[in-house]
Amino acid sequence: MVVRLPPPAADQRALTTAEPSGSRARSSRRSSFFGAMPYLGPAFAFYAIFLLYPMSEAVRLSFYEWNGFRTTSATFVGLENYQRLLHDDPVFWSAFRNTLVWIVLSLLIPTSLGLVMALGINRRIVGRNLMRSIFYIPAVLAPIAVATMWLWIYNPNFGLVTRSLETIGLGDLSQQWLGDPRFALYSVFVAFVWQVSGFNMVLFLAGLQTVSADVVEAARIDGANAWQVFRHVTLPALRPTTAVVTVLTIISSLKVFDLIVGTTRGGPAQATQVLALWSYTQSFTNHDFGAGSAIATVLLLMSLILVVPYMLWTLRRPDQ
Amino acid sequence: MTYPPSIADPTFVRAPLKWKPQDPVAIGLWIALIISCLLWAMPFVFMLLTAVKSAEDISGGSIWSLPERWEWGNFTDAAERGDLTTSFVNSLVVAAVKVPLGLFVSSACAFALSRIVFGWNKLLLAVIVMGAFVPIQVALGPLFSMMESLDLLNSRLGIVLPYIAFGLPFQTFFLYNFFSSIPRELDEAARIDGAGHFRIYFHIIAPLAGPALAALFIIDFVATWNEYAIALTLLQSQSAYTVPLALGNFSTQFASAYGPLNAYIAMSVLPVLIVYLMFQRFFTSGALAGAVKG
Repeated sequence: MVVRLPPPAADQRALTTAEPSGSRARSSRRSSFFGAMPYLGPAFAFYAIFLLYPMSEAVRLSFYEWNGFRTTSATFVGLENYQRLLHDDPVFWSAFRNTLVWIVLSLLIPTSLGLVMALGINRRIVGRNLMRSIFYIPAVLAPIAVATMWLWIYNPNFGLVTRSLETIGLGDLSQQWLGDPRFALYSVFVAFVWQVSGFNMVLFLAGLQTVSADVVEAARIDGANAWQVFRHVTLPALRPTTAVVTVLTIISSLKVFDLIVGTTRGGPAQATQVLALWSYTQSFTNHDFGAGSAIATVLLLMSLILVVPYMLWTLRRPDQ
Repeated sequence: MTYPPSIADPTFVRAPLKWKPQDPVAIGLWIALIISCLLWAMPFVFMLLTAVKSAEDISGGSIWSLPERWEWGNFTDAAERGDLTTSFVNSLVVAAVKVPLGLFVSSACAFALSRIVFGWNKLLLAVIVMGAFVPIQVALGPLFSMMESLDLLNSRLGIVLPYIAFGLPFQTFFLYNFFSSIPRELDEAARIDGAGHFRIYFHIIAPLAGPALAALFIIDFVATWNEYAIALTLLQSQSAYTVPLALGNFSTQFASAYGPLNAYIAMSVLPVLIVYLMFQRFFTSGALAGAVKG
């Protein structure tokens, strides 16, 4: 039998259709770009005007002094706003510290709670769908509604916490949960945990569906106990999910705003101040757009430093 | 056809229950779960109970007891004092314009990025996705100045425009991934039959992406309904307030009217609860969860 090779010309043709090269490719790409414009145009117009422009304006204004009123004009002051931030603004540092504390705590607590909930619920048990809903529903509520609910829960006279402690005879332990600088940040954080844990649970539940039942079975047969299966099979399989949860947690921690506005407004004595809120307060309450923008720029840099590596990693993966 | 699994089939396979009462570990775990669920439900139940209690019941009675007298008046009282109708109408109008328009814009963009090869598709995708990672608060100051100079403060249009922009990154990214999972042979066949981008987008890609678009629609509605920071910055007159602003305002103005305040919270979250209960699987399929947190 004779194996007939395809003629080289056909090969050549196949190659050229797959990867046009030279000026023809460039012109076809250029015409594709014009073809794409009607589809890309609106999105990029919205994005550039209402997202990119204000963000770059924030960076620009951080080098100016301005009270934000249209009647006055901004004066260029160089790095003065940043100098003030670093040397003369103790509130900035407490906001910075609280934001970091918030990131660290939320990487630890709502994430592991979400994982535990997912592991508990990811089996055929009675009432699973109801449980999943109960854990998840706080995540669909507006953060400002959650804030208002917890403001009432922490009410020092009639709130759920105080009254429950009284009922079990521990009324002495009751505190001004949101009014005491020692507890305020953590009290607001509890509300945050209540709101976001179920959201992490859902992400982990989706991740758990990718854990191969066969591998778990094989590990069991080889004598692995439940912990070993979790440690060496489940956890490695959850790595992509964990990356997503980590990134979303960092972003949502940097964005915490509504919850604090609705409970403490940054008080008492700036104990719950965070960068997002302090930027807003400097701009709109204290009419210092320069300082507000400098804080916004710090926030922008923080989110880029924390998140861009992840984004590059995601986008570099080949298409499906 | 390969859809992302989350949408084609619900994450959870409905399998027959395996109830093994003899397994003590499983029972222990189940009890632990029940207790955590009770804990998780407590804030909610507490809010609902307060909402139907009179002031005397709240200060006097035990917290978990049912009210002596069911104070349904709290709801009408709250709706009146907090001008609930105005804020509901504002929120509904904003969502009714923002959600479809935003999806239209982002799906067109995702279509071009995924289907029309012009060289810098990935770069543009990266530029737009980056927006999802930056806190909205960074832009609030300049956004305010911009809307002030455009005379769009306190207007629905003034809030819909930035809402669309801030919704784009996630929607585009999600739809890009979804569109990329639709086989290219389909549009090649259509192209040979003489279809242009427009026909391919409207007659092939968009219909096939129906489930993804529906899920995004629902989830974007919730995110829009809940948005607070931009609304707080751009809406200052009470007549323009959306529901979250009206709630925040109610809670500062009538801080000690506990019954009506909780009734107001309950009413403000009712629409998203209804939407959640109707379209649960869109929320609990993890792939889309990212959109809920604005």
